[in-house]
Amino acid sequence: MADFVVIPDVDPIPLPAPVWLLKALLLLTFLLHIIPMNLVLGGGLTSFVTEVLGRRRGSEYHLRLARSFARMIPVAVAFAITLGVAPLLFLQVLYGQLFYTSTILMAWPWLAVIALVILGYYGFYLYSYRWQRWRGVRLWVVMGSALLFMAVALIYSNAVTLMLRPEAFASLYHMAGAGSHWNIGEPTAIPRYLHFLVASFAVTGLFVIIYGMRQLRSEESYGRWALRYGAGWFIVATIVQMAVGIWFLVALPREVMMLFMGGSVFATILLGLGFLLPIVSLMLVLQASRALHPRPMAWTGIGVLAVTLVVMVLIRDLVRDGYLGGKFNVMDRVADPQWGIILIFALVLLGGLGTVGYLLGKAAAATAEAR
Amino acid sequence: MNFPVWEVPVLGGGMLIGVIAVVHVFISHFAVGGGLFLVMTERKAYSEQSAVLLDYVKRHSKFFMLLSVVAGAVTGVGIWFTIGLIHPSATSALIHAFVWGWAIEWVFFLVEVTSIIVYVKTWETMNRRSHIIVGWVYAVSSLLTLAVINGIVAFMLTPGDWLETRGFWDGIFNPSYLPSLVARTLIAVGFAGVYAFLTATRLEETAERATIIRYSALWALPALVLLPVALYWYYGVIPETAKEIIGGGIEAIESTAHYGMIAAVVLLLLVLVGPLLRPRSFSFGQALVLLVLASLSLFAAERVREAVRKPYVLFGYMYSNAVRVEDYERVEEAGLLASSKWLSVRAIDESNELTVGRELFRAQCMSCHTVGGYQDILPHLADRTVEDLEVILMDMPSFRGYMPPFAGNDQERLALARWLMTLPGPEARPLSEGGH
Repeated sequence: MADFVVIPDVDPIPLPAPVWLLKALLLLTFLLHIIPMNLVLGGGLTSFVTEVLGRRRGSEYHLRLARSFARMIPVAVAFAITLGVAPLLFLQVLYGQLFYTSTILMAWPWLAVIALVILGYYGFYLYSYRWQRWRGVRLWVVMGSALLFMAVALIYSNAVTLMLRPEAFASLYHMAGAGSHWNIGEPTAIPRYLHFLVASFAVTGLFVIIYGMRQLRSEESYGRWALRYGAGWFIVATIVQMAVGIWFLVALPREVMMLFMGGSVFATILLGLGFLLPIVSLMLVLQASRALHPRPMAWTGIGVLAVTLVVMVLIRDLVRDGYLGGKFNVMDRVADPQWGIILIFALVLLGGLGTVGYLLGKAAAATAEAR
Repeated sequence: MNFPVWEVPVLGGGMLIGVIAVVHVFISHFAVGGGLFLVMTERKAYSEQSAVLLDYVKRHSKFFMLLSVVAGAVTGVGIWFTIGLIHPSATSALIHAFVWGWAIEWVFFLVEVTSIIVYVKTWETMNRRSHIIVGWVYAVSSLLTLAVINGIVAFMLTPGDWLETRGFWDGIFNPSYLPSLVARTLIAVGFAGVYAFLTATRLEETAERATIIRYSALWALPALVLLPVALYWYYGVIPETAKEIIGGGIEAIESTAHYGMIAAVVLLLLVLVGPLLRPRSFSFGQALVLLVLASLSLFAAERVREAVRKPYVLFGYMYSNAVRVEDYERVEEAGLLASSKWLSVRAIDESNELTVGRELFRAQCMSCHTVGGYQDILPHLADRTVEDLEVILMDMPSFRGYMPPFAGNDQERLALARWLMTLPGPEARPLSEGGH
């Protein structure tokens, strides 16, 4: 019946900025979003595992780290949500006609995100605020929250990939149950989701390394332990990630995969970097975890992984436009830039980031002073 | 028409937006007014050297953060999710016209969230002066988020010159921008006081408890007294059709407006006789009653504001069935089958007429109506014939006041009317259980 490709028309109101600018902001704000998002996604489960290990082995260090996680995760959730708003905005302005359609087709799970996030968020707060009083059940609470956020990630991953398959829209819509479709059947759906999930444990591991280095000053042995513990998470996750990444790559549609295998020089170089950089980072972190003076090597490793994140965000964007190739080219969109307001936004953004920096600096200084 | 339609059983799409929006509006106004309340109360505690008051603000700030940063912020994103599902075309228009408005609001939001977290976490560690500055950063940034989003919300009812110029500033600083901003700010400030009753009544029975309760009442009162003036100003700038709807054009909306006003007046009187005059005997239960009254009046105000936009979702630009005003004639001529991307049928014949009728209902009616739920279509079909319905569909605005015109050709109108007449009586079971 509906064997034709249906893509809704783009909005007749022209884009209020050139495509390159909106795209740059989309990628930049997405990058900012995934750092706290990874901490939420990886931090919940890591915290659970760490506390279980601590209880089993009677390890003070494990429990102390879990306690620090409990304090940190709610803040990470706040930033993950806040920083997630901007990429969702720029995604809607550039790819709205695909995004709205995909989320309408999976409306129930999509809307459920709101409830899942609120529940999971309060769960993390309870884990933090009721640390003493809920000694018995707090493990279940943090596990529950971690699972809720893993479900949210699955829904997101589905929504933004279903969006790339306009050829499936019409038939899904005319099938029964419109509003509760998923994109699980698509060959990349599972490796893609795992790719994000595993990455979050690597990023969490890196944060534990940073945390450990900060502790070194006040308590050498705990700091060293945390550094090694974080390095363990990072190294294991990165090795698993290699396998998942290859799975993801070969699951891509042929024409998209070929972009990264010489079809496009830029894409091929990015993919090469995407394989190489984490290995470099892994070596550095491994060395740092054994070194007498771990800082230089650890920070270089973290820096290399930060570059990897940038590379991955760019690869993800190339995959997106690769999927849509021939069906919708975002670069063709008509723009009528509102330069005056763009300038105001730029000023507000600078002022805003400055204020955020000021606030965080004040908070850090106050904490340091209190010690 | 341009997008597929998500069928929301029982509630209907409009009501779903309403439920999430009311929760958000209630928390977010509190978050905006609460910022001022926190920092000014903190200052007062320092200048009066009141340990009890200071301790109270600390505790209140934690409750405040847990409510505003979690439920408040996430339901705000929730409204955005929901309007994208129910009114994708209108959402897309708002995003395209005001990307930079949203982006600027997002920056303020980022500052707002950062500052409240820092504020709550540094009570014990930060010096007083810096802590007060952080409090002010929160208060100002949350007011600024309101100042931006208010422009976009007001735009939906009074787009003003934007309809001709398509200019960003014409859209944001539209005719109802100022009165709406003043009214919302007053609501925000007033509600901050009403919320403060909740935490203040939980304090131990001391002389300070009564002082703090009275202080909260004095905080809420001026805003509650001035609010009617701002609303009257707002009423003066809204479109004539909106005034008609409130004045009785739609009975349910007229009575909602009345109940909302009654709730607000009762709230004002109770604040006077309760926390202001008898703060000692004012209890947590009574504070909850005031909170319920405040929510009811706000719920009424938001419901009326949503309803008076009829028959548009974006006044003068897009009808509530997602047809742009400028596209209407073209669709009517060409027919919806030729204009919509989401109908399974390309041409009507006898065999598929009812299928088409159902899909037309989904495309044109379901953004507001359900079968058997909220805004039920069934009662409107009682004692009608196909011919009656055809005539009504021919001129919706005059038969069914404040409804958008049917966008489709004669053949499609007939198909919709015939399908509607296959629906069982008003007491029948909902369509979603077997209507396909």
